[in-house]
Amino acid sequence: MTCGCSRRDFLAHGLYGIGVGAALPMFLSRTSAALTAQALQGTSVEKHPERILVVVELSGGNDGLNTVVPHGDPAYYRARPHLGIPEREVIKVTEGFGFHPSMVGFERLYKDGQMAVVHGCGYDHPSFSHFSSMSYWHTGVPNGGETLGWLGRLADDHYNPATRNVIVNIGLSQSLAVRSGRHSPLVFDDPVRFRREGTDAEKRALGAMSEAASASNPALDFLVATARNAAASSDFVRQASAAYRTPVDYGIGNAFGGGLQRVAALIAANMPTRVYYVVYQGNSFDTHVQQADLHSRLLMYTADAVRAFMQDIARIGRGDDVAVMMFTEFGRRVEENGSLGTDHGTATPMFLFGKHVTGGFFGKAPSLTDLDDGNLKMTNDFRRVYATVIKEWLGYDDTAAVLKGRFEPLGIFA
Amino acid sequence: MTCRIGRWLCVGLIGAGGLAVGAAQTPPSWTDDLAPITARDWTYERAAHLIERAGFGTTSDEIARLARMTPQQVVDRLVDYEAIDNPAAKPFEESGIWDPGMDPFPPSRADAVRIARERGAALGVQVLPAGSPRRLQPVVDKFFYGLRSNSIETQRLGVWWATRMLLTTRPLEEKLTFFWHGHFATGDVKVRDYRMMLRQNEMLRARVSGDLRALLVGILQDPAMLVYLDNGENVKKHPNENFGRELLELFTMGVGYYTERDVREAARAFTGWTNDVLTFKFDREQHDFGEKTFIGRTGPLDGTDIVDAVLAQPATADFVAAKLYRFFVRETLSPAVKTELGNGFRSSGYRMKPLLKRIFLSKDFYSAPSVATQIKSPVTLVLSTYKKLGLRELPTIPDFGRLTAGLGQLLFDPPNVAGWAGGRTWITPATLLQRGNVFRDVLFPDPAMFRAPDRLMPATYARVGENLKKGMNITEATKEGTGDAESNMMADRDEDYNTRYASYRGYLMAFERTRPIPRRAAGIDLASLVAAAHVTTVDAAVDLFIRRFLSVRPAENDRVVLVDFLRGTLGSSELKPGDKLEPALRELLYLVLSMPEYQLG
Repeated sequence: MTCGCSRRDFLAHGLYGIGVGAALPMFLSRTSAALTAQALQGTSVEKHPERILVVVELSGGNDGLNTVVPHGDPAYYRARPHLGIPEREVIKVTEGFGFHPSMVGFERLYKDGQMAVVHGCGYDHPSFSHFSSMSYWHTGVPNGGETLGWLGRLADDHYNPATRNVIVNIGLSQSLAVRSGRHSPLVFDDPVRFRREGTDAEKRALGAMSEAASASNPALDFLVATARNAAASSDFVRQASAAYRTPVDYGIGNAFGGGLQRVAALIAANMPTRVYYVVYQGNSFDTHVQQADLHSRLLMYTADAVRAFMQDIARIGRGDDVAVMMFTEFGRRVEENGSLGTDHGTATPMFLFGKHVTGGFFGKAPSLTDLDDGNLKMTNDFRRVYATVIKEWLGYDDTAAVLKGRFEPLGIFA
Repeated sequence: MTCRIGRWLCVGLIGAGGLAVGAAQTPPSWTDDLAPITARDWTYERAAHLIERAGFGTTSDEIARLARMTPQQVVDRLVDYEAIDNPAAKPFEESGIWDPGMDPFPPSRADAVRIARERGAALGVQVLPAGSPRRLQPVVDKFFYGLRSNSIETQRLGVWWATRMLLTTRPLEEKLTFFWHGHFATGDVKVRDYRMMLRQNEMLRARVSGDLRALLVGILQDPAMLVYLDNGENVKKHPNENFGRELLELFTMGVGYYTERDVREAARAFTGWTNDVLTFKFDREQHDFGEKTFIGRTGPLDGTDIVDAVLAQPATADFVAAKLYRFFVRETLSPAVKTELGNGFRSSGYRMKPLLKRIFLSKDFYSAPSVATQIKSPVTLVLSTYKKLGLRELPTIPDFGRLTAGLGQLLFDPPNVAGWAGGRTWITPATLLQRGNVFRDVLFPDPAMFRAPDRLMPATYARVGENLKKGMNITEATKEGTGDAESNMMADRDEDYNTRYASYRGYLMAFERTRPIPRRAAGIDLASLVAAAHVTTVDAAVDLFIRRFLSVRPAENDRVVLVDFLRGTLGSSELKPGDKLEPALRELLYLVLSMPEYQLG
């Protein structure tokens, strides 16, 4: 273990210690001091303070049946006469199931035993609206009006709000999934633009003000703390991102791979972040029309980027500390439509990646013949996967409080 | 007035930072006290607080005018606004983008194509004769035209509403409409019909000062809401619970006061409530006339019976009153205040005005936990800045919608059915920086750099135009680049039509058929502002800006930083007329607007 798993080792290795310019000593000392204080007071009950969860969202509703292909089931080919992936092309990984041929990156992860596939994830009374269904996955409360995200609630329940940047969300706007009651997720898209604008004199003046302490106004305390965080983190993020160099090929330059690369840069710089959230944006997976080529490319970019990320993380010595969970808001209908595409559906596989993942398939695949109005009947509530990462990966036994209900973990992490 | 200003400045100079303006004089016993304040308690600072919350803030002169009235008079005038003439109430000038045959607009391009194949026409456009190249192209062009032009009309609608918010003589009318827009959240991204969004906005405005029943019936029969919550799919054979569930959970009672069975029964009662494009339609064929049991009532209930049953529940009064309180006063309220407000609301027959007057006159509204503790929403942040600057026109350079959307809030586009979460969720480290940065674009506008979003085409489609200009044919012109991420999005093409060309054509047709948003930068004249206040020193200028723009007194250290900055920029402690003055004052204002304190109202 080059990177120790105890808080003491972690601190000894130096938070933010790698690849950071000289402009950061204030921030470093302050953050380290805060964490040290927290450790000394024994406020932390974390079993695995070094572990990081990276959540990847594929927006638009990924076609699960053409991602994890049930090539052993004639019903698949009956429903998909034009779009079905021919059996000879499928990357076969287990009895009856295989990956889309463009997902070479996943094949490697799977064979290395670092990839778990959970069949048939969904929820009762599924919504066919991107928008509603995505908000259900974000909040972890389907058909509810929960205003905080499940990762936000996770942070609220388990991470000290005094610790900055527990959640980092790469994106233009904050995902509902990370919306938190007590934490201020660090949300940025382009690290270059994550900065205070203005003349040097203006920035100097604002810098001289940011330490202002308030009296008896908690909202102002929160703002001042966030402002300090912004001032410190934006420099850090910009410098960490600018300083980061990797020989790993994340694939063709698309925004998704770029997002994962930004995460790798921050992990390499020892950002104390526990949850990263990255989105394959723009409803990209909404493949209603002529989907074959498009979907093939989407899967290739996704698999390339995730595989590269895992490789990159291993390269910087954090392979034991990072797990990735990947989801989409729904799968597609079993039967292809008249436009050589697929329409909004229900259950779809979820994916977990990491060195501590027990590779293989979990759960029961939904039947392709016993359908609900043409749609798969889900076999795993997606919150069981959430419970799995909360309990088995991050080490918090009480998953019911975060998930607002009891969901049995799946036994995926060793 | 001078005594008030004097006292304020005095406290400002010696007091600790972070205190709400006027908080020092507020007795702790006011917290949670719903009894009305008296005329003796009425100050400039409290008038400023009231107009900031019940409206979008205003200029110092206007606040001073309100401070000379009694609180009762001010609140009556704010709440009983119908009597006030409102020259800002101008109808939305539609571009007229909707052509015959475009209704009902197909939910997707795939559907438009399917209809065209089946019927030989769609969206009012004929397909080309058999054998023609790309015979469905005109239909797909029209589909994209519909999407793009609607998106531009929705942008224009946002500018129309923001303008009205800025200029209205009835600030509470707009603030309430804004509140209910977030409560009955409906987004054009899903509705895809600005006409429905406009009608909903007008319906809300017409009913926000009446009673809750009329408002509920209005929203439950509102085409935009019916589309947004998929109630067209709520039919006798397959009831869709979305609508009934949101009514109970988000609009009226909140979780815990009804069962899953109540949700299902409510869904049945609303079957057949649908829309014929822009009007409500009760579809008898799809309505379930059978017996239902909903929260203790049994019978052949329909939607309005559900509304009445919901209104009979005290939980509804408590829930709605509490949400109004959180919007106008503060995030946390005591159980006693919640019950007291709820009881009053219900016993008044759910009339809004008595509830609002009670809140705005209560000592609690002016107590320390209520004042200068609310994080402004992006729309409020930007509009209240314009109000405090005394602007008489909405600046459109930078673009209002882009400005607020970049901070997390776009009118007519709430993030989901629960509306904007508000409060601290507005603030991330990145948005906090942006909340300052945006005002650089307002104070130092650059029309040369400005790109109007209502006339902007993504690069992929702009390239199609460039390629066509070079003489390429459509196939060549729409060919993907190598490894370009944008190319991934639009690979789907068909020998019957070219999607990327259709998208390009759709933009061009939309630009042609929509009125452009008039573009103008803010007419800011800070030199005149300080001159009018007879301010001649940098110290006094800083105090004027603090007083005019901040609800929270900054720490003395920060005030000194501002004074030093202005003195350094001007090279003098005196404000002398000249070319340097206006830019220096704008820089000073940029600093004030970038302070954490400025996020609070």
